[in-house]
Amino acid sequence: MESPFLRWRNFLSDSAARKKYEDYVKAADAKVGAFLEFDADRGLGLVSDANPGADLAGVPFAVKDIIAVKGFHLTCGSKILENLVSPYTATAVEKLIARGGVMVGKTNLDEFGMGSSTDNSALGKTNNPWDQGRVAGGSSGGSAAAVAAGMAAFALGSDTGGSVRQPAAFCGVYGLKPTYGAVSRYGLVAYASSLDVIGVCARSVEMTRAVFDIIRGQDEKDQSSQAGGSGPAAKNRVIGVLGGNLGLDPAVDRAYRKTMDFYKAQGFELREINLAMAEYYVPVYYTIATAEASANLARYTGVRYGYRPDYAENPEELTRKARSEGFGSEVKLRILLGTYVLRSGFQDQYYQRAHKLREAIRADFDKAFGGAGLILMPVFPTQAFLRGQSGLDQFQQKLADRFTTAANLAGLPAMSFPAAVEDGLPVGMQFMAPAFGEALLFDAIKLYEAQFPCPVPPSYKPEWIEGS
Amino acid sequence: MIHSMDVSELKITAELANLDLTGEDLASLGNEVEKILDYFSSMMEADTAGLAAGKAGSAANRLRPDVRTPGDADALLENAPELEGRFIVIPNVL
Repeated sequence: MESPFLRWRNFLSDSAARKKYEDYVKAADAKVGAFLEFDADRGLGLVSDANPGADLAGVPFAVKDIIAVKGFHLTCGSKILENLVSPYTATAVEKLIARGGVMVGKTNLDEFGMGSSTDNSALGKTNNPWDQGRVAGGSSGGSAAAVAAGMAAFALGSDTGGSVRQPAAFCGVYGLKPTYGAVSRYGLVAYASSLDVIGVCARSVEMTRAVFDIIRGQDEKDQSSQAGGSGPAAKNRVIGVLGGNLGLDPAVDRAYRKTMDFYKAQGFELREINLAMAEYYVPVYYTIATAEASANLARYTGVRYGYRPDYAENPEELTRKARSEGFGSEVKLRILLGTYVLRSGFQDQYYQRAHKLREAIRADFDKAFGGAGLILMPVFPTQAFLRGQSGLDQFQQKLADRFTTAANLAGLPAMSFPAAVEDGLPVGMQFMAPAFGEALLFDAIKLYEAQFPCPVPPSYKPEWIEGS
Repeated sequence: MIHSMDVSELKITAELANLDLTGEDLASLGNEVEKILDYFSSMMEADTAGLAAGKAGSAANRLRPDVRTPGDADALLENAPELEGRFIVIPNVL
């Protein structure tokens, strides 16, 4: 079979091709703002064995700026880490570089991965390549936008509650959230450790599969990583779908029906499933995520690295000032919430209860996957939203995480795919599979891709992306 | 009500989180925190009798040999805001 990287192979080894590519990125990113840092030379310097026959030889890829790459900044989109340069490289990135891949740049994100728009970045603004007035989604908005606009072959992101799938849906690319533990988290800055996973944005199913196959696997540097093996076999051709009023925008509703009709025509049986715990996904998710965030972000003290205030009387004041001046308001909000739900006297009502409900959510999916091989659902109730008053406020954005957070809470793999272009904007749908069932996701979505390939944003059609 | 947070509770929480909140922060974050805690209270309606809190992941602990694998301390020190030789400078500790 043809390599999914063919169009990008040796891209950076050929000087004419490289110049064309770098000129394109410069011009395109002036409008999109996907990258916080772009330096192909430094990326090439990380490849120790430039074997032109390697799978990823000369293939440019991008990494969300919450994943460590040696010699590049590791800002997490935060003022508190604005000047931090990573002394080491994440395992997932090491594996790609070992295959000849060239890490060309670090992409913008909501600060520490906290948000659904990338507007919570303290360091840059990312626009949706389909409409500059709209957000790229988040928190891996820079990664999804870079791939959608053809500025990188693929990009790594991180998905704690939908942060790869939702921006992929907003920008019209594929977005994989692997099974919890399938990819090493070594080098991924922790937001909520029991939910975080490194994921992939790409413009084709086969490229997503190829990148996942490279980055997956057990790693001695991450206790929670698992080998996973070959995963479960396809048990049947039953797809679980959601019934009732899902509160979707009309365009998203139409796209959901379109995908259901497609799979029905392919001979799948669609079966309505009852996810009894669905109303609790978002409160359980935010309780657990903020609790873990409050502990994980306690490490930013302004002492060993990171932002330090001009003046402090004593170490305690130094830390308080560094954090108060260094964190943005959404990060402070989540730290406060997390601290509160963990406080003695409140822990039983919030954190412990959320953990019990998380078990019930897992059991709910075990039951659903007892009958259905896969579950098909929307990614987000809206398409990419506008900035400002007519968009969604931070609270509405949280409520809208109701379709993505389940996969993180249950630790299951899920993948979003471009299902339709409605009113000039892409709409994404997602499949969920049993643990380590990534191959089932790829196989199912490949059928759809054969008929409806990855759409190309009208203003960004470099010759090296398919369909341009 | 257990789920609504008054200003004094917010201040205690901020202190535990090592955050100084300005008057403006107290108003805007206070509102947002209260709104979300109200929303969290929907969890109180769920029947959790008979449910146990689980833990993430299912893999058992994996141990590695107890040998030193030194990292690159100098590279780490390069990110320190202020150094004196190999020591990180902080304000007076009394």
